[in-house]
Amino acid sequence: MENNLYLAWSPDATIQGMGSSGGAVTALLRCALENQMVDAVLAVKKRNNSRFDAVPTLITDPELVHETAGAMHFAPLNMVKIIKEYLDGAMDMRVAVTCKPCDARAFIELAKRNQVRRENLFLVGLNCSGTYLPTVAEQMIREAFGENPQDLAGEEVDEGKLIITLKDGSTKEKDLEELVRQGYEMRENCLRCSYKVPRMADIACGKWGNNGKSATFIEICSPKGHEFLDAAAQNGALVMEPATNEQIEKRKQKETEAVENAQAREKQEIEAFKRYSSEERLKYWLGHLSRCIKCFGCRDACPICFCKECYLEPYRGCIPGGETPPDIMFQLIRLSHVADSCVNCGQCQDACPMEIPLTRLYSVLNRELADIFDYKPGVDIDQPPPLTTVTEQELSIDAPDIIGENSSDR
Amino acid sequence: MNAIEHIPTVCPCCGCGCGIELVLKNGEIAGVEPLKSHPVCKGKNCLKGKNAYLYANSEERLTTPLIKKNGKHEACSWDEALDWIAQKLSEADRDAVGFINSGKCTNEDLYLIQKFARIVCKTNNLDNASRFCHSTSVPALLSTVGAGVMPTSTPSIEKADCVLIMGANIQETYPLLAQKVIIARTKGAKIITADLRRTPTVKNLTDLHLQIHPGTDAALINGMMKIILDQGLANTDFIEKRTSGFDELKAYLDTLDLQEIEKITGIKTEQMKDAALSYASAHNACIMFNAGIAQHAGGVETIQTLADMALLTGNYGKPGSGVNPLRGHSNGEGFGDMGTVPVFYPGFQKVNEETAGRFASMWDAADLPAKPGLTYMEMVEKCPFLYIMGANPAMSAPDINALRKAFEKKELVIVQDIFMTETAQMADVVLAGACGAEKDGTQTGVDRRVQRLRKAIAPVGDALPDWQILCRLAEKMGAGEHFAFKTSEEIFEEIRNCVPQYRGITYERLEQAGGIQWPCPDEGHPGTETMFVEKFGTPDGLAHFQAAPYKAPLEPPDDAYPYILTTGRLNFHFHTGSMTRRTERLQNEISEAFAEISPQDSENTGIADGEEVILRSRRGEVKTRARVTPDIKAGQVFLPWHFPQCLANILTGPSAGPPSRMPEFKFSAIQIEKVESDGK
Repeated sequence: MENNLYLAWSPDATIQGMGSSGGAVTALLRCALENQMVDAVLAVKKRNNSRFDAVPTLITDPELVHETAGAMHFAPLNMVKIIKEYLDGAMDMRVAVTCKPCDARAFIELAKRNQVRRENLFLVGLNCSGTYLPTVAEQMIREAFGENPQDLAGEEVDEGKLIITLKDGSTKEKDLEELVRQGYEMRENCLRCSYKVPRMADIACGKWGNNGKSATFIEICSPKGHEFLDAAAQNGALVMEPATNEQIEKRKQKETEAVENAQAREKQEIEAFKRYSSEERLKYWLGHLSRCIKCFGCRDACPICFCKECYLEPYRGCIPGGETPPDIMFQLIRLSHVADSCVNCGQCQDACPMEIPLTRLYSVLNRELADIFDYKPGVDIDQPPPLTTVTEQELSIDAPDIIGENSSDR
Repeated sequence: MNAIEHIPTVCPCCGCGCGIELVLKNGEIAGVEPLKSHPVCKGKNCLKGKNAYLYANSEERLTTPLIKKNGKHEACSWDEALDWIAQKLSEADRDAVGFINSGKCTNEDLYLIQKFARIVCKTNNLDNASRFCHSTSVPALLSTVGAGVMPTSTPSIEKADCVLIMGANIQETYPLLAQKVIIARTKGAKIITADLRRTPTVKNLTDLHLQIHPGTDAALINGMMKIILDQGLANTDFIEKRTSGFDELKAYLDTLDLQEIEKITGIKTEQMKDAALSYASAHNACIMFNAGIAQHAGGVETIQTLADMALLTGNYGKPGSGVNPLRGHSNGEGFGDMGTVPVFYPGFQKVNEETAGRFASMWDAADLPAKPGLTYMEMVEKCPFLYIMGANPAMSAPDINALRKAFEKKELVIVQDIFMTETAQMADVVLAGACGAEKDGTQTGVDRRVQRLRKAIAPVGDALPDWQILCRLAEKMGAGEHFAFKTSEEIFEEIRNCVPQYRGITYERLEQAGGIQWPCPDEGHPGTETMFVEKFGTPDGLAHFQAAPYKAPLEPPDDAYPYILTTGRLNFHFHTGSMTRRTERLQNEISEAFAEISPQDSENTGIADGEEVILRSRRGEVKTRARVTPDIKAGQVFLPWHFPQCLANILTGPSAGPPSRMPEFKFSAIQIEKVESDGK
């Protein structure tokens, strides 16, 4: 295979019907397990058949892969944490992981820090146009669409609309903007995210460019990606056709449009902050952060945070124990440890019981750091994180003068 | 190959009823995650929830039954322990046994303990810590709206455009309720908090703080009602259609003088007006109250005034409104529903001949007790035999010195628990219980939400679920036929038959995250979000105004004991800390008590921040370290009650009379004394 853009689908009618877009990912994962190219597959399953309740599932039996079929927009999980926290960073097992672009980026960042073994991970990237929180989505289906959430069989975002499919096969659609006006919005981090196609994974899969065909558009992004797809094709698990120019163009068009929207949104957010004076900005953030109840939800959910002996814990002697809210250094330390590598996954804000807009804080700061250091978190595994790296150039700078011009402290 | 499983269950640490997932790695608990699809917590937990059930693996877990021999607890078999208990209990007179149970147990455990007490011991001597927190709420709300439960659904608090928080520090004690208030506030709701201290809730979530003189809330609310009436903001339509007794209330309010109320409460008339007008002009005004209101001798009156004010303004029967008592325990609603109290059989059916007769046929058992039983402290004082399941009165009861003396004289003290608690230390027999991660069952949280607890791991050692222990004991006492349950689900099926509010709930229907809110009369019914939409729970379906004057506390400060002590809870611990003090991350945050005193008192007494201080009441003394803070007023002292090295309840004492018999935890008179540096 020299090309890297394909349309792919499973020749097995059953698998085709189970997955979205021709069941290609399902077929690929199943084949990988059957041929022992991985020890396990980590994917997402519906609990009690609910599209709003997802469980990360570690599968070793190829026969069970199909239980995870179907992309879920209403149950955004933190796939990275499972590997990092509960599976020893895949140090001694080979796992295929289905991941959104933010998951894939987080894996890359952790790999840079030796917290996951990149060689053991087969990252099956899934295109993502954004997700909704489960409880928001459930209410939206009930009140905006007027349907019983339990009747939901599928959902997709396309051309500015949310299209739902019900169990009886019928579909309904609504404008995303209309839904926003009614108070139903995607997760904040999704709205500003320009990483719609996860090229940092081994393969990137989605339906843009399939032009209505029951097939998945796959972009192969690494030699490992080629290896797995070759095996699947050779085993008859997948049918692959090189993408046509028309399909490639259509995909490019959709991606560009989505990325432009996200960039506009991001720009809007940053401009809004730039209009504040320093004092106003500080007041804004301190106001939100003062509600913190030290639940550690943000740290626990953050895919980048990995220290076993966390500096924020009271026994480390830095942040006094038992205080509500904790000393502001709690927030600042986490920021200084993570802000350069924030992948905008939004899990911190999802986890915060005090509704502190954490991804806003981290992404605004990250944007500034990204510009200063020309650093894109989670894209290039060979680009080291700026705040934990010293370059040759930096080593030869004269000791910085930290006393300000107007200071009377001299 | 590692096996990872996610078991959805409910956090054991408060009444919010947040969904959590226990993450099992190869069958052992490896972590806890918030449940994202849960309608109450929505993927968020507080620090207690994030560490839920990690104490299951503590080395301190009780793993076998223990019998005290020569002053020491020694391990024994279940048969040995239960045979001995069976023998002693069979010799006991009717009503000589008292059953103290707990909101930490499941509905199934609780249903069985009341069945045991009533069938085997023929007594209604059953009570629990609801005596200590909502024994005032129940009579107050029964007399006004006909039910002592939270009428609103937790998620709907977001719809309120005015929230009045009375005597509750929700940011620390019910974080996921605070989350709803935060959302409401983001949408423009006005948040008013009445609290004698400047708590985190006051500082971070509140627009108007009424820093009220302790225990005077009834005067404040009566004053606010007077203002609402005078300003013509009463909801006359609602009053006419859905209430009775308005004229009597109005006549009483007309006698009040706002200047007097200012003097009593310490709240300026302007602030009262601000609060009253905001509350009365809201579309959905929501009142939340907790121990700061209820744990007073005058608690019944205060809660009646709250109900009056909600009725006056039509704030009942719609989402995001009502007067909402916050049950503390994770099964804080269930341990009322199951009838484990001296005046109700299951389902709030009053203890009397008729009810006893009905249950006798239902249970096929004769001669069930038909007279109300003893309350908590009455049992502690009078019952020679005590069966204590999941409760820790050695830390949670008032006047601990007196309790300890009473325990020394007991014939038999049985404690069934998961740890060697302070109470278990005094027990003759200790029965090792399984914790909530080790058994199936149901729990009912603040907003009447019945949820499934799921067994994730096997009980440690020889520990058994509470309900199984009761079945075995019943068997040994010849009542096995009434306790032939093989699973918790079988017990739940029996519960559904005699608790009308649970009739439509089944384990199968409870599979969905968030459970079902009662009343749920039949299996097709979705459960009830908001109560009193059409009718109140009173016999005539109308709400009844109750003119309720402010009642002074039982032990006012005087020259001998000039300071007012109030007790309360912190973000990092739950109640007597039996679970949280054995959870590493929580215990690392804070493991010792402190006494909050004002800068003025610090100056007057010479007690500096961090210095040792003795607090003394008529009943005893404790030593701790002072925390000097402007968040508390001069003349007042705050103590958390989580820590055994500084038992706040050595100091507390007097209790109200019937119907509540509420200990006045929130108001005791104390002295404070500097500890001299040479140890004197």
